[in-house]
Amino acid sequence: MDYQTAKRVAETKGERCIPTVCGMCGPGGPGGGCGIYAFVKNGRFTKVAGMDECPVNRGAVCAKGHAAPQWVYSADRLTHPLKRVGKKGEGKFEKTSWEEAIGHIAEVLTRQKETFGPESLAMLSPAKRSYSEYLHRFLTAHGSPNYGHSGICYMQREFAFCYTVGDFPRPDYGRSDLIIYWGRQPIYSGPVARPARAFMAAKQRNAKIIAIKPSVEPDVGLADIWVPVRPGTDAALALAMLNVVIEEELVDHGFVEKWCYGFKRLKSHVKRYDPAWAETVSGVPASQIEEVARLYATTARASIDLGNGVEHTPSASDAIRAVAALVAITGHLDRPGGNVFSMPTQAAPKDILLKDRYRPELITKLVGPEFPLQFQPFLEGPTSAYYRILESVLTEKPYPVRAVIAPGTQASVSTRGTKTVLAALQKLDFFVVVDVARTADMPYADVVIPVATSYELDHPFQMVPGWLMATNRVIEPIASPKSIFEFFLDLANAMGYGDDFWGGDIKQAMDDQLEPLGMDMAELRRRSLGVAYPPVPPVYEKFEAVFGRRSQCLDHHPYLPQGKVALYSTAFEKAGYSPLPEWREPPESLSGTPGLAEKYPLILSDYHTSKNFSASWQRNVPHLREIQPDPVLHIHPETAAVRRIDKNDWVRVESPHGWMKVRAELYPGIRPDTVMILHGWWQGCRQLGRGDYPLSDGGANVNNMYSVDPQKAYDPLVTAMTSQTLVQVEKWEAG
Amino acid sequence: MREEEKEYLIDFDPGKCTQCHGCEIACKTWRDLPYGIQYRRVLNLWQGNYPEAKSASLSMACLHCADPACANACPEAAISKRETDGLVLVNETLCSGCGICAEACPLDVPQFSEEGIMEKCDLCCERNPAETPPPCIDTCPTEALVYVEVSSAGKKSAEQKIMRLLGRR
Repeated sequence: MDYQTAKRVAETKGERCIPTVCGMCGPGGPGGGCGIYAFVKNGRFTKVAGMDECPVNRGAVCAKGHAAPQWVYSADRLTHPLKRVGKKGEGKFEKTSWEEAIGHIAEVLTRQKETFGPESLAMLSPAKRSYSEYLHRFLTAHGSPNYGHSGICYMQREFAFCYTVGDFPRPDYGRSDLIIYWGRQPIYSGPVARPARAFMAAKQRNAKIIAIKPSVEPDVGLADIWVPVRPGTDAALALAMLNVVIEEELVDHGFVEKWCYGFKRLKSHVKRYDPAWAETVSGVPASQIEEVARLYATTARASIDLGNGVEHTPSASDAIRAVAALVAITGHLDRPGGNVFSMPTQAAPKDILLKDRYRPELITKLVGPEFPLQFQPFLEGPTSAYYRILESVLTEKPYPVRAVIAPGTQASVSTRGTKTVLAALQKLDFFVVVDVARTADMPYADVVIPVATSYELDHPFQMVPGWLMATNRVIEPIASPKSIFEFFLDLANAMGYGDDFWGGDIKQAMDDQLEPLGMDMAELRRRSLGVAYPPVPPVYEKFEAVFGRRSQCLDHHPYLPQGKVALYSTAFEKAGYSPLPEWREPPESLSGTPGLAEKYPLILSDYHTSKNFSASWQRNVPHLREIQPDPVLHIHPETAAVRRIDKNDWVRVESPHGWMKVRAELYPGIRPDTVMILHGWWQGCRQLGRGDYPLSDGGANVNNMYSVDPQKAYDPLVTAMTSQTLVQVEKWEAG
Repeated sequence: MREEEKEYLIDFDPGKCTQCHGCEIACKTWRDLPYGIQYRRVLNLWQGNYPEAKSASLSMACLHCADPACANACPEAAISKRETDGLVLVNETLCSGCGICAEACPLDVPQFSEEGIMEKCDLCCERNPAETPPPCIDTCPTEALVYVEVSSAGKKSAEQKIMRLLGRR
């Protein structure tokens, strides 16, 4: 609704309405950037309406956004800073004060820095949040490069696209006649935001929609063609599509000659990856691979929306590079309706990463580089792989991390290898959890810091493409009055890094960051509905500029050494990696480990997003849990029938690495050789009579099911961890 | 029957629904509904078999039927179709909570409060839906839900559309 309506509705009910930014798809700090009107009755936050004036959501709100009050007032909210008094894992704490907790953390981290060096501290990163830069800044001020990026989402695509075509080119949705949604969930990833809207708009104007993924979700229900690929085999599919377009001469030779490097080598390389071979690996019929390749190559305005689904497999970077090559050689790069390079942003807040302190001696200390050292720092500064930080605690290689701060992230349910993670948390010298609500890892914490939700705060500002808005306080804090931003400001101050942290003054921090935008927080707050920026008119064929882009590495090497699309990457070759995209089997798969498939005949993978939960949070919110009360395994009815599994039966799912007890949902729209589950299940919901699940065997935590074998489970270039394995599924027999 | 009278409806376009459940939860928060009570439900409907399996979406609430089976079945005459606008409304003081209406309704619309009183979507009539759209409509990202005025015949065809989506009739 619009502001006038919101005020009128509030007035008639004796309520107040506060325009602000939704904080639900990023607990501990908003991530989505949807404008809302929050309604307050007698000091209590009661409900939400979407802000028509916000260019992101244009008045719509998703299920999570509406459930915000239940989340804010949940019994799982952390109320006091806590210090561990029992054994690790036991979950026994005593209350302490904010000041004492900060003092204690500062003392331990200072002592560890003196004894073990600053790199002994690592930070586990949540998904990109409005406070992410503060984590980086704190680590750099401390002298540690160990920012633990999850290796779950996004960076794999950004990295492989940058080193193949110079940028991550997005679909020109509005002008495409054909869009391939590949391993992508355009709806659940932001049901009221631009990608979902663009999907619907494409559908309405009869653009052809192709969905490539192992199971049918609502987007597939609206698509024209479904390509039911086996999890983790996207590289095989993409290589075969390259094979088809090259063999059938569906190539834009003019573009290839002028702007691509290594076409001949790519051509001879992909000969081995024909559709018949790809069918044996990906399970997609060869005829369908040919059909989709031809449709894409011969439609002038065609784009590919490559999603997170391709990123969790040992051939993740290969899949992305192969897709990038496909976009380029078919002439769909940076042309109307194709995949277009980003436009320079009109204005941006101040970059607060301390980039001038990125030196070789800092980079070489990375405990488990997310990208090989030659390619560090990448876009977000130096990064370690999240899982490898925890692994180092056990292996002590190259050295053990001694302290970990987890601000808004839950290691035991977010990253793979649950058993390793739990053993590491048990052994870790010092573990700090910073969150708004109880987390799965909390029993292992030495100190727990409660922070306020964004509904209880007057910062930060939120800047998303096209919109800048101040967070406005909806209600007085009900538990901790301080934010996650203030935690880092206070800790920095206590450790003597105050000069890098605005003297601990949050107002100064916000004003400083806003300065390039020509305003301060007070001025921004006066704009009740924020500042909308008009979209920049597109400019196409920016080849020269983009192909000449330089990396953020210390030597600022260009991504593309020849100033052309790197179909053959001499940058990767020089660093000792494959110059061409290859096929690499997941650690366990039907085509790669047929012997193992006799005992474990089904492929297991997981969904990254859902319509009602943010990652591993919010299972405790009754409105959201009511949509999906139990952890369910999607299983094809025929696959279930031969196992005598009925709908809603509890089942035991066993892989070579662990087992889960979950419920069967008979799901006609899934490959019969594949079963899938949503990741992130651990938390109970009191109101619905659901308790917590075990984090490891016997629970519903899919991370426990996968291989973490250093030789098999990773993509060599981007530390993507596998999320495919083989399983057997049996009906759970009581007793 | 109120032949030739105006009818009102929250119409649903299955081609526009992304199954985000925003409408369902907006209804729950704006109407302050407890666990177990749903005036509006979003359903996933399967069609066809693998590999041609497709899913369709349906966001469903009381249609305020032209000839409401619930009202016809109610032994207490607690459910009536309002003369002025055709809304099917429940008189809480007359409802005995017998549940016969729930058996009669082909769409499983009637819900029962802790006190055993039937409740359901009333088109947020208190709010004047023509002027201020009900929360389910207001929150929909794709205009899959729209408040419309129809004739009795129009209402009947809307009812049939929902039954077809559900694979009945």
